[in-house]
Amino acid sequence: MCNTCGCDQKESKTVAVHQSLLKANEETAADNRRHFEEKGIFAVNLISSPGSGKTTLLEKTIDVLKDEISIGVLEGDIETELDAERIRAKGVPAVQLTTGGACHLESSLIHKGFHSLEHQLEGKKLDILFIENVGNLVCPSFFDLGEQVRVVLISVPEGHDKPLKYPKAIRTSQVLVLSKCDLIDHFDFDIDKTKQDALAMNPLLKIYVTSATTGEGIDQWVEFLRSKLTSGFKESRGEGGE
Amino acid sequence: MHELSIALAMADELARIAGENNSGKVLHVTLKIGSLSGIVADSLRFAFDAVKLENPLLSSAEVTIEEIPLVYQCGDCRKTFSSDDMYFPTCPQCESVALKIVSGEEQHIANVELEV
Ligand SMILES: Nc1nc2c(ncn2[C@@H]2O[C@H](COP(=O)(O)OP(=O)(O)OP(=O)(O)O)[C@@H](O)[C@H]2O)c(=O)[nH]1
Ligand SMILES: [Mg+2]
Ligand SMILES: [Zn+2]
Ligand SMILES: [Zn+2]
Ligand SMILES: [Zn+2]
Ligand SMILES: [Zn+2]
Repeated sequence: MCNTCGCDQKESKTVAVHQSLLKANEETAADNRRHFEEKGIFAVNLISSPGSGKTTLLEKTIDVLKDEISIGVLEGDIETELDAERIRAKGVPAVQLTTGGACHLESSLIHKGFHSLEHQLEGKKLDILFIENVGNLVCPSFFDLGEQVRVVLISVPEGHDKPLKYPKAIRTSQVLVLSKCDLIDHFDFDIDKTKQDALAMNPLLKIYVTSATTGEGIDQWVEFLRSKLTSGFKESRGEGGE
Repeated sequence: MHELSIALAMADELARIAGENNSGKVLHVTLKIGSLSGIVADSLRFAFDAVKLENPLLSSAEVTIEEIPLVYQCGDCRKTFSSDDMYFPTCPQCESVALKIVSGEEQHIANVELEV
């Protein structure tokens, strides 16, 4: 450029890139997704605030599905093996991913974690992979992990204003679980309003109202997973198959 | 602050783009950030100003952020309009709620000025 005006400043050039700020994460996520689809694994990413009941929902889900299908879990936390140990206590293979400070999982960590889970499985086929994200309702909604379905949990004690306060989590998820509904009498939580607000932002969102304590809604949630395993998911896999 | 995670990813992308173009220094970067992206422009700028000091390649990079408004197109009457309402928007012409987002979700690097 500077050849034209003859100054001896360092030259510069401007490159148009038009790419996502999170391109690297998105590329690895696409690789993961392809990997899961080739292997016939349905991958589910669970996101929520800390303590909304992700691990408890997984425990209940495992109780119902364990003898029916093969389940694996990647547990994301900032520190500790605690959640992975809870899953292993149910007889299901789990790999703990500790981020050492980061408040969300990224797709490269899922890639590594999935390989070490495969190691534990010793050749056994997996039907469903649950990824429990770090408890945080903001960052995880920015980072695609390669999941087929993103599930966001909002628990009754958190309050019904959460969909409006965390729109990105609602808009990027396909399923909303309203958890701890056994506590509804103790909190001013309007289930209908929560559903309405969430659906206004994401009309295709599937919503389940659950309680791990009473078991309410767990059957419907599990039925959703079964339906994905038997129909929709395999159909979409068929298209890309050899 | 999730903008820190984004700023770290942004620093990696800029370093990669500089490398691909055989440049040793990023001078300027222009971002497009949609109002629906969930990214606060000032927070991202603040986070990147801290992150860039870690890498000599980026330490003098200036950032321009173009904030992209939320624009919908009506599925019924086809009108295109901008609105601040990300929750319950309705078409100003026909009151339909069947709206498609045209822009506002951007979280992009538009261009990068490199020393060569
Ligand atoms: N009353 C009630 N309590 C629940 C329910 N589900 C979970 N809890 C309780 O809520 C607390 C947190 O549950 P977890 O399943 O550990 O939550 P989490 O989302 O995995 O938490 P982090 O991984 O730390 O983000 C525990 O004390 C659970 O016993 C429920 O349906 N009803
Ligand atoms: Mg947990
Ligand atoms: Zn010149
Ligand atoms: Zn691999
Ligand atoms: Zn954060
Ligand atoms: Zn209209």
